[in-house]
Amino acid sequence: MMQFPLTLWDISLWLAIVSIILLITAELISPHYGQTSILIDKKRLRNAALTTSLLFLITVAIRIIGIVTSS
Amino acid sequence: MTIRIPKSPNSCSKTDEDGSKRMQNLTLPRLRIGKNKIIAYILLAIGMIALIFSTAYVSAILAFIGLGLIFWGALILYIGNSKYAKLSLLDSTALSSLADIDQIITELKYEGKGVYLPPKYLRNIESGIVFIPSKKGMSLPLPEEVAEEKIFLENPDGACMIPPGLALSKLFEKELGISFTKVDVRYLEDNLPKLFIEGLEIAEDVKIETEGNIFSVEISGSIYNDFCQEARKLSKICNSIGCPIASAIACALAKASGKPVIIEKEEPTSNGKVEIQYRLIEEEN
Repeated sequence: MMQFPLTLWDISLWLAIVSIILLITAELISPHYGQTSILIDKKRLRNAALTTSLLFLITVAIRIIGIVTSS
Repeated sequence: MTIRIPKSPNSCSKTDEDGSKRMQNLTLPRLRIGKNKIIAYILLAIGMIALIFSTAYVSAILAFIGLGLIFWGALILYIGNSKYAKLSLLDSTALSSLADIDQIITELKYEGKGVYLPPKYLRNIESGIVFIPSKKGMSLPLPEEVAEEKIFLENPDGACMIPPGLALSKLFEKELGISFTKVDVRYLEDNLPKLFIEGLEIAEDVKIETEGNIFSVEISGSIYNDFCQEARKLSKICNSIGCPIASAIACALAKASGKPVIIEKEEPTSNGKVEIQYRLIEEEN
């Protein structure tokens, strides 16, 4: 039987790690890249970082609501 | 100017070789963009397969791998879309038109400093005009006269030109999402540094100070440094209408303040800094 192996908390942890990495990268990345072969749009990187952070916060909110309603 | 005509078949083949090398150079950036996209699509495909297998075999590790690959594939597609060009390309493209303006001003023997006119002088308020008087200390033309959109004016004697930084100032407005006609000088003081450093990545640091009618801007680590250095060799540009970045700020300032603006001083200081000083002219009613 087909079953997705990850729970919401697994995805929440994954989102937390990814958003931390992206947020740090988006903040530390220099506006002066020099001669590189990877062309990064800094604004879009920041948007992606903020989106993943928001998704993580949504999973946290779901968890909190779950705890409050169960008690 | 002489034109060389190839004398032997060998010289022809050499030209062809040069041509093909040039073509290779021209197509290189396109290949690079293609590679990025190919890598992104491969990551997405492998990620999807891993995710499908993870559900079939109920494997958390495969699911994490799949999620990670899909995420990075999508991220590469999303963040790598902007186009970059070499700075030298920008410099060489814009310099000829500045040299043209310099030659015209020199030829006309105009000595006055360029005055950036505010929107009330213009038919299209989103546009910009710099008035270059023929002699120093001349009065400003009447708004009706400028609105006729003639290049050469007779009373007072001078020329109305499109400023070299007008397009750049429109880019500032587009990036900030507001027209400078709807804001004041204070808004420019607060928002231009952030726009230059983070938004457009034009400079490493920008300091703006206002003192009465004087508006001073200090730009450090500007990407226009080399370009401005070349532009300074054109005597009339820096003394009269300013290089594109100074001109763009002057356009913005004229729109925001609603007053005519003169570039008083534009000079490089130590450590690649450029200091530009503007003066807002008080008009007599």
